[in-house]
Amino acid sequence: MTRPAEDRTVLDAVRRGDQHSLEELYRRHSPRLYALLLRMLRETADAEEVLQEAFVDAWRRAGEYSASRGSVEAWLITIARSRAIDRIRNRGARLRLVKQSEQLASADPPQPDPPDVHAQTRLRKALGSLPPEQRRAIELAYWEGMSQSEISRETGDPLGTVKTRVRLGLQRLAELLAG
Amino acid sequence: MTHQDFLDQVDAYALGALEPSEASVLEQHLSGEGPHPLCEAALARARETVATLAADLRPVSPPPAVWEGIVRAITQGQDPARAPASQEPATAPPRGPVRPARRIPAWTYGIAAAAVLTLVVSGVSVREAQHSAEMASASAAQCAKELADARIDVLRKEDALQLLQEPGTQLVSLKPSPPGPAQGAPGTGVVLFNPRGRALFLGKSFAAQATRDYELWIIRDGKPVAVGLLPPDAEGRVFAEVRPDLLAAGKPAAFAVSIEKKGGTDVPTTVILTGAVAAP
Repeated sequence: MTRPAEDRTVLDAVRRGDQHSLEELYRRHSPRLYALLLRMLRETADAEEVLQEAFVDAWRRAGEYSASRGSVEAWLITIARSRAIDRIRNRGARLRLVKQSEQLASADPPQPDPPDVHAQTRLRKALGSLPPEQRRAIELAYWEGMSQSEISRETGDPLGTVKTRVRLGLQRLAELLAG
Repeated sequence: MTHQDFLDQVDAYALGALEPSEASVLEQHLSGEGPHPLCEAALARARETVATLAADLRPVSPPPAVWEGIVRAITQGQDPARAPASQEPATAPPRGPVRPARRIPAWTYGIAAAAVLTLVVSGVSVREAQHSAEMASASAAQCAKELADARIDVLRKEDALQLLQEPGTQLVSLKPSPPGPAQGAPGTGVVLFNPRGRALFLGKSFAAQATRDYELWIIRDGKPVAVGLLPPDAEGRVFAEVRPDLLAAGKPAAFAVSIEKKGGTDVPTTVILTGAVAAP
């Protein structure tokens, strides 16, 4: 992950209309955002379009960023995911990939040149410690862009149960990742 | 909405799991009379957790065309310093798409790519296909027919042709397994594989199955890794991209297609096509 304080300084310059600072922000964050979008959208062209839209949004909305609501990186991820979710829901059909849980939580071989092995390991351990149904609900929302209602239809579980799983699962993850 | 209502839903909100109407209620709460220190702190915490879920991904550098498209869009648009001051929406609201410039002039490229793909799925070599693409570019009428025949999305063709032209790309032809008529599916397919982390599967003549799904696999170290389901279109064509993170764990020894129960399986049960990746 990048340094939050430096990101805020860069974003301040973006807010003043400094295109070079936007490029710096892009250099820092686009590889992770692009990987995220490729994973969510599974279409290179879509991922590229959404990545572009996200940074154009960031340029236009830099003045609206509020540090009290999260880091710059989290803000960028929110923008990119929001656009990706719009696109997924507009598609009407998804290419469902299987084994999401195992791919995230299992002991896959280490990937080459990971930027933050510690964060990766910690995430996998945290996900692995969640009850499977909580993890499944979070993964369907995160990677497939499903709403809680869609998850309920997908899994056959009552909507209230899905809501509880999402809330408890994410809160538990937050505790584990912060610890 | 009360603060407690907000706190109860903030995790789903940060995850993007609310319906738009539900999300709107939370946004109105935040933009209403404040301050909302507890709500903002909860939102920040939830957003950071959601952001951390991407830590498992290996970063992938986007192609230069993306940044070029951003520059074009912002130089033609509004200076951010002049943007109207307003509360930050907690999620980016839907807006009209900003179409990036395509990497390559789409029409010319699409025509050429259509010809390439038609040839590729027929088992023609990369070099022959590239040569054919050049010939096709010179003959618009002929290529337009190819394009109509192929009926594959132009953007997909662009992707495939671009991958074909990248150094190191191999054409892995998938053959029936066991040799002979494929079980349950007369489909044929190829994988365009580049060791730098990209692979596209292109298939044709995949008969739609009412009760079963086609599934793509990577075979690595003797073990199958599920890539995903392969839903054929109305013409029996299949196009799928292998997720880059599945390729990052090491070079595949082979690719395979199996036919499975609906939704796919953990381990392939009925392999119908296989193709080995050539040694470097």
